[in-house]
Amino acid sequence: MELRTITVLTKGNRVSRKSIEKLDLLLLILETIDLNGIQSLYALSNKLDLNDILPNKIAIWKLRNNNPLRRSYMNHNIKSNEFDALIKITVEMSRYLYPYIRNILQSKENSEKSSEVWNDFNNRFTELIYERLNINCMRVKKLLNKNRNDEMLVKSLLTLSLCISNHGYLKLKTFLLNV
Amino acid sequence: MMQNSLLFHQSSASLEIIGLPDFSNNENKDQISIISQWKLTIIDKPLIEGKIEHLVPIMDAFYIYSNLLINNEMPLYESKLIDIKADNLFIHNVVLKSSKSDVKPLIIKIGNSLLSDIVNCFEQLNESPKVRLKKTRVLKNVPKNLRNRLHNKAKVFKTILPPIISILTLILFSTALTYFYNPVEENENKEIIYSK
Repeated sequence: MELRTITVLTKGNRVSRKSIEKLDLLLLILETIDLNGIQSLYALSNKLDLNDILPNKIAIWKLRNNNPLRRSYMNHNIKSNEFDALIKITVEMSRYLYPYIRNILQSKENSEKSSEVWNDFNNRFTELIYERLNINCMRVKKLLNKNRNDEMLVKSLLTLSLCISNHGYLKLKTFLLNV
Repeated sequence: MMQNSLLFHQSSASLEIIGLPDFSNNENKDQISIISQWKLTIIDKPLIEGKIEHLVPIMDAFYIYSNLLINNEMPLYESKLIDIKADNLFIHNVVLKSSKSDVKPLIIKIGNSLLSDIVNCFEQLNESPKVRLKKTRVLKNVPKNLRNRLHNKAKVFKTILPPIISILTLILFSTALTYFYNPVEENENKEIIYSK
């Protein structure tokens, strides 16, 4: 198998830093919904036979640390098969969590007043951001602003809900590489 | 002959495809290649059904619109058959236009959850080995202004990039040459020649 390393400033068929950032954000949203998210991600990597690429939870954590917004950001050269593996577990987890994702999306549509489901989701997402990301970064500050992060959250949830089909992996990969 | 019926279901939406197999192509009896009817049922919304030639354009409309939505493009799709535009971040307006002049267009408001249900129903249909759809090339159905917008980014990038690279290369080389050229040293050399 051809192993291509991903450099930060290249585009085209390679992965940009923005793509890694977006993928990690989608995984953070899935973790917001699934309280035992890290364990679920690892269980799914086993189920999908990705043990060679993601042998343990630390390997997943290390790859996700390529997100420049992370508190513990590490600029390693993430390989394309590692990036693909992360996409596969994201798609698989979205498939499992689709009813919850749908419920959260619906909670924002029903009324103009704030919904309890949405508020719980947003609160937990904010807690996770405080825990994992570098809160001194301007983009992270935007994510923390509960009045302004609605659009980002809705679009990310919609992205996850639209990639649950068998072709979901290709759909999500195309989306991430076009960011 | 009994017609085959297949149901694709996703939460609040279900898509029913009714039709026959193409026996001239040696297909199985449970296959559907000649679609005679389709129905899209959404809970609490009017039933959507139409001719077979309407199914693929409607599917394309939902695919294109949802892609525009998640890619931060302006979410708007317009065609002779269907318009979809965003009311706000959470609600979308779907206008289904009839080919008959005396029939008023059907307007349905759907939220993001229903939008993803509908797209996932279409995805199931697309992926089903039991139904063969005559697919059109998606870009044929994209309105002209939208098609232009999709290509604009790439065009601008391709046009601007070469001159920028050449200008930057020129600047880089000329600045490097100024470091090599030392006027004081040259004057000294001239003085030595004159004194000789």
